[in-house]
Amino acid sequence: MNINVLLFGSLAEATGKSQLEINNVLDTETLRSKLLREFPKLEKYKFVIAVCKHVVKSNTILHEGDTVALLPPFAGG
Amino acid sequence: MTEKKKHNVFIQGAITPNFIADSIAKHSGKTNIGGHDIFLGQVRNDLIDDKTVVAIEYSAYLEMAEEQFHEIREAAFTKYNLVCMHIYHSLGAVKTGEICLFVFVSSKHRKDAFDACRDIVEQIKEMVPIWGKEIFEDESHTWKINK
Repeated sequence: MNINVLLFGSLAEATGKSQLEINNVLDTETLRSKLLREFPKLEKYKFVIAVCKHVVKSNTILHEGDTVALLPPFAGG
Repeated sequence: MTEKKKHNVFIQGAITPNFIADSIAKHSGKTNIGGHDIFLGQVRNDLIDDKTVVAIEYSAYLEMAEEQFHEIREAAFTKYNLVCMHIYHSLGAVKTGEICLFVFVSSKHRKDAFDACRDIVEQIKEMVPIWGKEIFEDESHTWKINK
């Protein structure tokens, strides 16, 4: 199962990546742990996860082709 | 109901005073409007760890931001009695003293315009995935935190 991961702002800067493809993750918590293992720097950053453009507050099941975005605190205006 | 269709919110670079003036002028034909309220966000020269901000470079998760702006618009039209509403936000670099956010709300009577404008600005800050890289004089940077 392929999940498209987008990183923004400070998170893209910290990892050097704005887009990744992650395989074999069933839900957002597994994805989070996998990303933290791959990019330990992310540990220091506050972020929320959006699945298909909707912020999820709890662990969410992922489906093939889903786009998951890691969003640092918003700073518009 | 053309006022409620999807609008392009993002503008590359600063929002100019001329653009704002033109937007106001375009409403002279809408004679059912009795009051406008406008919020303008301006880039401030914050001093952070002894370094002065000279510009903010805005970026966004565009697809999600557009959906959020659409939701904010729809909710405001439902909640308040508005004639029309326009929201513009900058992308890319905006220098200190320049405008980065323009919220323009019009209604028959002032109260709806005042209340809606404040509500919309607060929701933009809270709900829309936009980030600002604060650039210092020496070209180093930090990431903007909203208060």
